[in-house]
Amino acid sequence: MTIWSTMRRAIAMASRSLIRQPARATLGVLGVAAVGALLLDMLLLSEGLIVSMRDLLARTGYDVRVTATEDLPRNGPRLHDVQTTLATIAALPAVRSALAVRFVDAEVNLAPDMTIDVSLEGVTGQAPHPWTVLRGRDIRDAGEVVVNDSIVTASGVAPGAELMLQADCGAGTEALPQSRLRVVGVADFPFELTNEHTIGTTLETATAACGAEGPLQASVILVTSAGDPDAAVKAIRTARPDLGAATNEQVLGRIQETGFTYFRQISSVLTTITLSFALLLIAVLLTVSVNQRLGEIAALRALGFSRGRVVADVLCESALIVGSGGLLSLPTGAVLAAFLDRILKNMPGIPSELHFFVFQPSALELHIALLAATAVLAALYPMHIVARLPIAATLRDQVAE
Amino acid sequence: MTDTIIEAQSISRVFQMPAGPVTAVRDVSLYVRSGDYIGLRGPSGCGKSTLLHILGCVDTPTSGTLLFDGRDVAVLPDAARSLLRLRQIGFIFQRFFLLPMLTAWENVELPQSEAGIGKAERDRRTRELLDYVGLGARADHRPAQLSGGEMQRVAIARALANRPRLLLADEPTGELDEATGEQIAMLLDRVNADGTALVVATHDATLAGRARRELTMRDGHVERETSR
Amino acid sequence: MTFGSFESFEPFGSFVRSRCPLLLVAIVLTARTADAQSSALPPVAISRHLAEARHLSVGSTIRLSTDRAGTDVRDFRIVGIYEPTPNPARLGTPDLEVRFHLPDLLDLTRDPATLPGTEPISGLNVALTDPADAGAFARDVNARLPGINARPASEATGTAGPFLVLRRFHLAIAAVTIGAATVFLLALTIMLVDERRETVGVLRLIGLPARRILVQVFLEGLMVAAAGAVFGLVLSLASERLINRFFQWRYDTALIFVRITPDVALTCGAIAVPLGAVATVMASWALLRRNALRLARR
Repeated sequence: MTIWSTMRRAIAMASRSLIRQPARATLGVLGVAAVGALLLDMLLLSEGLIVSMRDLLARTGYDVRVTATEDLPRNGPRLHDVQTTLATIAALPAVRSALAVRFVDAEVNLAPDMTIDVSLEGVTGQAPHPWTVLRGRDIRDAGEVVVNDSIVTASGVAPGAELMLQADCGAGTEALPQSRLRVVGVADFPFELTNEHTIGTTLETATAACGAEGPLQASVILVTSAGDPDAAVKAIRTARPDLGAATNEQVLGRIQETGFTYFRQISSVLTTITLSFALLLIAVLLTVSVNQRLGEIAALRALGFSRGRVVADVLCESALIVGSGGLLSLPTGAVLAAFLDRILKNMPGIPSELHFFVFQPSALELHIALLAATAVLAALYPMHIVARLPIAATLRDQVAE
Repeated sequence: MTDTIIEAQSISRVFQMPAGPVTAVRDVSLYVRSGDYIGLRGPSGCGKSTLLHILGCVDTPTSGTLLFDGRDVAVLPDAARSLLRLRQIGFIFQRFFLLPMLTAWENVELPQSEAGIGKAERDRRTRELLDYVGLGARADHRPAQLSGGEMQRVAIARALANRPRLLLADEPTGELDEATGEQIAMLLDRVNADGTALVVATHDATLAGRARRELTMRDGHVERETSR
Repeated sequence: MTFGSFESFEPFGSFVRSRCPLLLVAIVLTARTADAQSSALPPVAISRHLAEARHLSVGSTIRLSTDRAGTDVRDFRIVGIYEPTPNPARLGTPDLEVRFHLPDLLDLTRDPATLPGTEPISGLNVALTDPADAGAFARDVNARLPGINARPASEATGTAGPFLVLRRFHLAIAAVTIGAATVFLLALTIMLVDERRETVGVLRLIGLPARRILVQVFLEGLMVAAAGAVFGLVLSLASERLINRFFQWRYDTALIFVRITPDVALTCGAIAVPLGAVATVMASWALLRRNALRLARR
C-alpha cells in the first residue's frame, strides 16, 4: 500500500466528512478565505511600496540622484552653481546624461479671487525631461510650460494659453512678482501627488519666478548612468566629494528606513496575528470535529484502519478546509487589496502612481507556504488525539454514553 | 494457519482508576478454533466486553499471553495488529458505528478498499454481502435512512468484507427489539454455519444459548463453561 | 493652537512640499568638555539620541554651523538633554535635535542680507487661558491680521491627515478580522450546539416550547460571550504592553503604538458580546427547526 494510495483514500474520506456537515464546512472555508485574504494583503503590503517605488524610480529613466547632502531629494539644501556641477557630472565617462531639477511651490491665478496651488519643476540639462508629453509639445524656450491634466481640469487651459504664476520660494516676507507663462503642452508627471497641480518649465524660468539672480540652484540632479549606476555614483563622489550621490536602490533603502518602515512593521505584526488567528480557529474547528467522532474513529481502528490512516484523514480534512479557503482567498484578497490601497493613497504626500499593494509572485508563494504550514500545524493536536486514541476505552465510553 | 485461531493464556486486565485499580478480566484462559461459536455471557460489568476487546487485539492484557495463529500479539507493532484486525478479524458493535456520510454500499466497501482489493472484486464482494444480509435493495441508503436492524445487518456485512477467520460481536442485539434481535441472531447463525468462527458477548441469555460453547462470566473471570 | 504653516507628516521625504520658510541644517562639528569659559556660551538642549550618538552630556560644548563646510561656526553649551516628542513621520530615524532660545537660533541662521528682527518663523504656539475659546480666538486673529493663518491645534492635521488615513486603514482591517471571526464563531457554535441536539430533542419532546429553549441558549451564549470578551480584553491589554515595549525598543522611541482606551474596550465588548450571543441563538434556531424526534434519536 503506497503512501499515495493511502493519501488518496484519506482525501476521499476527508471530503466526505466535510460534505456530511455542509454548514460548518462552508463556514470553515469562508473563515479561512477571509483570513487568507488578509494574510495575502499583508504580504503584498510588506514589499508593495518598495516594488512600486522602484518601478516608479526606474520608469523615469534616471538611476542616480545627486543632492547637496546625504538627505533625500527635497529634504536638504539646494545645490549651488548648478551649471558647473552639471557639466562636471555629465562629462564623467560613467554618466550618459544629467538633468538638474528645482522644485518650487507657487500659485496660479485662474480668475480674480481664484488661485490654485501648484508645484513647479524647473529643469536644465541635456537629458530627457522627467515628464511625458500627452498633448501639445514639450518646452523649448524660457517662459514655456507644460501642465498636468489636473490643471487643465481646474482651469480649462489648453496649449497656447497663458498662466499668471506667483512663486513662494521661502526667501523672505516680500511677495514675488507674477510671471507670465505660456502653456505649450499637457504632460504626465510620474511623481505628482493625487490631485496635485504640476507645471514643468526650464530652470531659468523657475529661478526667475523666484526673483533670483546669479548662478542657478537646483534641488536635485537626475543622472542616467552609462550602464552601471554604482560606478556612476563612485565617479561622482570622486569628482565631487562634497555632494551626496545615490543609486535608485540606495534611495529606496533610505526611504525604507524612514517612511516605509511603518508599513513593513504593521504588515509583519498583522501577518503574525492573522496566522495565529487562523491556526487557533482551524485547530479548534478540527479538534471539536474529531472529538465528536471519536466513536467512529475507534470503530475504524477496531476494523483494522491503521493509526497512520486515521491520522491522515484528519490532516487531509485540515488541508481541504485550508486549501479551499486559500483558493477563495485569492480573488477576495485582490478585491480587499484594491480597497485598502484606495484608503492608504489618501495619505498626504503620496505620488498618485504609487501603490501600497503590489502583486508579486514571491508574496503568493509565501502565502501558499504559510497556509500550508498553518494547515499542518492546526491539525497537529487533533492528529495527536486520534493517534493516541485508546480504542477499547473509547468504544466502552461510547456505549456508556 | 492452525486450527486454533486464538489462544488466551491466563490473561488479566487491570484498569488504573482514580479510586483505585479495577480488575475487569481476571486470569482468563480460553481458545477459539476455526468454526467455533462461543457465547460470552454475564451481567453488565462482568468483563465480557473487555475480554472481547482483548481477543480482537483492540486492547492489550495487563498480564498473560494472547496468541493469534500461534503468534504472540504483544510483540506485534501497532501496524501489524491493525493489519490483523483488517484481514483476519471482523468486529460488530452494539452501536453499529456505521459512517453516517457513507451509504450502505460504501460502508461495506470501505474495509476492502483499505485492504487494497481491486475495484472489480470490491464491487462483486459488496454486492454479494449486501444480498447475503438481505439489503441488496438498500445499497444506496445512508444509515440515517435505515432501521436499527438494517444498520446492524450492514455492520455484519462490513465485518465480513475481508473474509475474516473470526467475527467478534459485542452486544449485537443490545439496541434492538426482540424481533429484530432474533433476525440478527439468525444471521449470525448463518455466518457461523458458513465457516466463520464467532464470539458473541451478550447479556441476552437467548442469544448466548445459541452458541455451541457458552462461557458465563462474573467479576472478571469465567465462572462456568457449557458445551452443546 | 498654532499659527502659520505646519509641517505635515512626511512619510516620503522628497515627495512632500515642506511649507516651513526656514530649513535648518545644524551639524555638530566638535564637542568639548565644559570649562570656565563655556558657562558664558548660549545654552542649548539636545535630544537623548544626539547625546548618545555623539557621547555628549550636560555641560559639554558643541559647535554648530548651518552648512557642511562649517562656515560661521558658533559654540553652544549643553544645559539639558531631553526625550524628543515622538514623531511617527520619523520612525526609524534617530531624532538628532538641538533646541535653542529663538534669538540664538536666529543669530545662527540669519542670512547676512536680512535685517535682524525681520526673520521669518515657522509658526507661533499659543496657550489660551480657556482652551475652549480656541476657535473663536483663531477667527478673531485671522480677521485682524490678514496673511496670518490661525487655527486650533485640534484641526491642524486636516481631514486628510495621515493619522486619519491610518485610522480608516486599521478600521478596515478590523472589519475584515471581525468578519472572519464571526464566520468561525458561527461554525464553532453550530458544532457545539449540535453536541446538545439530543438534549434539545428530549426537551422538545417533553413539551418545552422552542422559545423557552432559545431564551436559555441566548442567556448561556451571553454569559460565554461576556466571559470571552473579558478574557479578550485582558489578552489585549497584555499584548498592548508587549507590542509597545517591543517597538519602542526596536525604534528607540517613546512613541505609543497601541493604546486601548475605554472607548476602544467598550466598542470591542459591544461588538463581541452580542455577536457571540446571536451566533449561539442562530445556530440553535437552525437546530430547533428540525423535528424533535429526529433530534432525540442519535
